Amino acid sequence: MSNQLFYVSPIEAAITRIESLLDDTHNPISRRSIALLLLQKDPILSSQLKQEPYFPEIERIIAHTQEYFSESLSLAIAQSRHQLAMAIEQDVIIQPQEQRTFQYEWLHKLTVHPVSGIPILVLVLYFGVYQFVGVFGGGTLVDIIEGFFESEINPVVNSIVAIIFPWQVMQDLFANDYGIFTLGIRYAVAIVLPVVTTFFLMFSLLEDSGYLPRLSLLADRLFKTIGLSGRSIIPLILGLGCGTMATLVTRTLESKRERIIATLLLALTIPCSAQLGVILALLSVEPTALFVWATVMVTIFLGIGFLAGKILPGKAGCFYIEIPPLRLPRLQAILTKTYVRLKWYFAEILPLFIFASVLIWAGKLTGLFDVLIRGLEPVMLWLGLPKEAAPTFLYGFFRRDYGAAGMFELHSSGILAGQQLVVAAVTLTLFIPCIAQLQFMLKERGVKNTIAITSFVVLFAFSLGYILNQLLTIMEVGF
Amino acid sequence: MDCHDCHKSCQPKPQNSVWKLLGFGSKKSAKSNFSRHSHTTIALVGSPNVGKSLLFNLLTGTYVTVSNYPGTTVEVAQGNRIIAGEKVTFFDTPGMYSLIPITEEEKVARDLIMNETLDLVIHVVDAKHLGRMLNLTLQLIEAELPVLLVVNMMDEAKKLGIWIDENQLANKLGIPVVTMAAAQKVGLKKLIAKVADYVQSTLLCVTY
Repeated sequence: MSNQLFYVSPIEAAITRIESLLDDTHNPISRRSIALLLLQKDPILSSQLKQEPYFPEIERIIAHTQEYFSESLSLAIAQSRHQLAMAIEQDVIIQPQEQRTFQYEWLHKLTVHPVSGIPILVLVLYFGVYQFVGVFGGGTLVDIIEGFFESEINPVVNSIVAIIFPWQVMQDLFANDYGIFTLGIRYAVAIVLPVVTTFFLMFSLLEDSGYLPRLSLLADRLFKTIGLSGRSIIPLILGLGCGTMATLVTRTLESKRERIIATLLLALTIPCSAQLGVILALLSVEPTALFVWATVMVTIFLGIGFLAGKILPGKAGCFYIEIPPLRLPRLQAILTKTYVRLKWYFAEILPLFIFASVLIWAGKLTGLFDVLIRGLEPVMLWLGLPKEAAPTFLYGFFRRDYGAAGMFELHSSGILAGQQLVVAAVTLTLFIPCIAQLQFMLKERGVKNTIAITSFVVLFAFSLGYILNQLLTIMEVGF
Repeated sequence: MDCHDCHKSCQPKPQNSVWKLLGFGSKKSAKSNFSRHSHTTIALVGSPNVGKSLLFNLLTGTYVTVSNYPGTTVEVAQGNRIIAGEKVTFFDTPGMYSLIPITEEEKVARDLIMNETLDLVIHVVDAKHLGRMLNLTLQLIEAELPVLLVVNMMDEAKKLGIWIDENQLANKLGIPVVTMAAAQKVGLKKLIAKVADYVQSTLLCVTY
């Protein structure tokens, strides 16, 4: 083979010897390649071959070869490869040197320099998240669609169902207070849809522009103090869209430790887009309330992150990330992406929302629901919340967005106000990751970690809600 | 028996029972345990953020999320396209820098390469950082995998004043090379034509 890469002779000798040891299994990859991976101490392959009778011999070859080098074998191998790669590049590239800077170099510098980067971040958060997702999506759009449902759709559904089914029990399944159409579908379409759509639109725009990797550069120093690297800002920001998706993306983090911290922070402090939109919209009327909520969340995020970073063994991962050029996002690409995400999201939640309605209906019918609610009621009172808030917490476990929608309803019917609203918002944000997120935590982090994280989150959410309520009462903060 | 212009994959594919026993493909099997393919299978691999997912979307019409940051793809996606009258299955993989993974999503990509018998591995690289990315190409060639190199983002490279001699690169590496600007769909036809060559050579081998 003419294109074969040859390494320095001790390594070539070792390759030949290891190759002759390997039995003739039909691998998709060559024995030479396997030998090289072993020489580079590839952990996966080494642990797979550990049982083989010839493995000690391989280890001896590796140790023997290492004696020829002052640097590690991996480095020696990588260097040979790198030299050849660079030589090939030299041969095939035609490039007038002077032009090699990115087009938007100045903009790049602005986004990553703390002095200009932090104000840019504040602007992005204020206009992109607060104004667009919270006020416009969670406020204006939700009010319009929700109003339309309440005034146009629900009465029609109620009367049609009343005609079809003469029995109250069946009517309640489809219509009235907790019906599939009047509650499940209304929550999904009127409250969650506008918030999630605006969020995904904004997020797609940020993604395609290349802003996120720059944000992780900016955040790296701050994140180091909480045991994470700047890299983890991407799953955490994704968590603002949907914690479930984000838990999966923690895979991109380097160490197990980072993945656990990020999963914990996602479960505890990061609200999903539906929650965020509803909370921003509800609290935007009262700036102090919004301020208290935001301060509490940021403090907990940093505090818990810091503690977790201290408690969990290991060091903060070293930070590397490919910084892609800033690109002007293409409208078509953004719309397609938003559409695909929405489709995925709704395929996920609509059946669950409908199922929730059925479950509540069945629970009410059997009285089980009332038992659960009654069990939660003392907790509500303990938090200084009205006992009508209990169902919302129950839904919140089911789906975060469902709980958020429930909170919206409580507020609009005048049950939750002022201090209670703040306490409820904080507790619900902290409270349990929803079932879907729990599933992904199980899949990615394993049973033990999931149980530990979940029980911590539940305990912490309620204790903090209690403390916050007490504090606000003592300090006589008025909203 | 070896025919001269087809790849080793055209020989009957044995079950990798020993490797399966050793634990290859047993973990995370949801992703690597694809059904045995009788048709052509092609994986798109490469560093993060070089446009694998965008290319996958163009090739298969199946949408996977594309973004401008590394780490968008964390799982293997699968899609089909009929090329040269044959059903060809493409796999989109999470980015990886080398055959030795650092993060978990890189491991997902490696598992696919190591456990699946692929008819073709398309290595997608960023034309702006060709030298750095050829490291993986060399590793793939070393592994004796059938590799096709796609040099993507030629449009951005051109803006930086970088030109790449496609033929020279193909000669140096001894593998087919296609230059592309996938975002503008430039080079897509050329790529499909090259893939069609593989499909046909695979077919020829089967009829032997």
